Amino acid sequence: MKFEDKIKELEKIVNDLESGNIDLDKAIDKYSKAMKLISECDKELKSVEEKISKIVKENGDLEDFDIEDK
Amino acid sequence: MKTNRYITISTLTRYLKDKFTKDENLQNIYLKGEISNFKSHSSGHYYFSLKDDFSKINAIMFNSYNKKLNFTPKEGMKVLVCGRINIYEPTGNYQIYVEEMQEDGIGNLYIEFEKLKEKLSKEGYFDDSHKKQIPKFPKRIGIVSSDTGAAIKDIITTIKRRYPICEIILFPSLVQGDEAKYDIVKNIEKAKDYNIDTLIVGRGGGSIEDLWPFNEEIVAKAIYDCDIPIISAVGHEIDFTISDFVADLRAATPTAAAEIAVPNILDVSNYLAQINIRVNESMYQKINYNYLLLDSFKNSYIIKNPLFLYENKKIKLDNLNEKLNSIIKNNLNDVNNNLNNLIEKLNLLNPLNILDRGYSITYFNDKILSDALKVKENDEIKIVLKNGKITSKIEKVEL
Repeated sequence: MKFEDKIKELEKIVNDLESGNIDLDKAIDKYSKAMKLISECDKELKSVEEKISKIVKENGDLEDFDIEDK
Repeated sequence: MKTNRYITISTLTRYLKDKFTKDENLQNIYLKGEISNFKSHSSGHYYFSLKDDFSKINAIMFNSYNKKLNFTPKEGMKVLVCGRINIYEPTGNYQIYVEEMQEDGIGNLYIEFEKLKEKLSKEGYFDDSHKKQIPKFPKRIGIVSSDTGAAIKDIITTIKRRYPICEIILFPSLVQGDEAKYDIVKNIEKAKDYNIDTLIVGRGGGSIEDLWPFNEEIVAKAIYDCDIPIISAVGHEIDFTISDFVADLRAATPTAAAEIAVPNILDVSNYLAQINIRVNESMYQKINYNYLLLDSFKNSYIIKNPLFLYENKKIKLDNLNEKLNSIIKNNLNDVNNNLNNLIEKLNLLNPLNILDRGYSITYFNDKILSDALKVKENDEIKIVLKNGKITSKIEKVEL
């Protein structure tokens, strides 16, 4: 699931929960799902791995690209 | 060697400057040409070049003159100017000091631009309905631009600052000169194979000729045909190119493009935290509501006074009981009455009453005897009278 879709799903759940007209059982299901999605998103945002910029070479291969060299 | 034959550069320059100054033609000259490399300095002075197909001259228009203009000079604009030619000593370049300027029709490039813009607009290339949504949280941003220069640096630093979890793939491309359009098209098409979420296509500022590849029809078509959402970022705020109109979104500058392409990771974190709070809050309220509901049941009159449930039934039962009693009573009365009647009737029929009147009852073998044939001589019979019994023997039976 894409990050964007996760956020959309979360927004839907929040709206459902806030609307109030939802069974307690269903609410609990949705709540657990929201907690799972939040923790997944959080993980993605906190990913420590620094993304290195790449440059596409003439033959299509990718190579690391450091803007400071330029 | 006689060193006094040699003069300094400054002396030469001053000598030439003097020649320029004394030439009346140069001091009051009328020129026509196209504006290029136009720059409005913060001091208010305009710096630009004037050119035709074969030559070029640097030009400066001080703000004391240019503030009288009733139009803003633009790249590619054809103008008529009046001024004086002189040498700028520090560089030794001669240039025209423009004192008056007016538009000479519209520059060729400008006409070409307007023509293509109108054509593509008619063909639907700029339609909003064709524009794609720019992903809010891209994982991979592609950049079609020069791999050197300020633009690429601005884009990469801005993305890294705002959203470091995003990957950047650069498609190095020529961005000026005659070959640039083919290179840009090739790279936009190449980007399709690299799983790119958003593509930034552009370059930094420059003259109208420098930016021209982004006004080419094949570039416009490549942008239109590309399945990846494209943000165009060509030149500065004031520069509009055909690419800007075709792209799914136009950014004023390369830095702005990067700001549009990725969210600020802190904002996303905050938003997520907010969702977290809202989910918990609404869940808490949901549970609390159910508690209250439960409480309201527990405190309800019925639950607290369960006997109330029976009260009505009890009353009904009592009523029924009463009714039943009265019915039974009535019935009993009836029965009593009937009984009395019967007793009266029985009294009338009581055999003992008959005995009173002198009749008697004859028993044989403890059974009432009413048939003479049932007895014979010497059988013993009992006769009951009003006040006693007689036991006797039959002497004779007659019929």
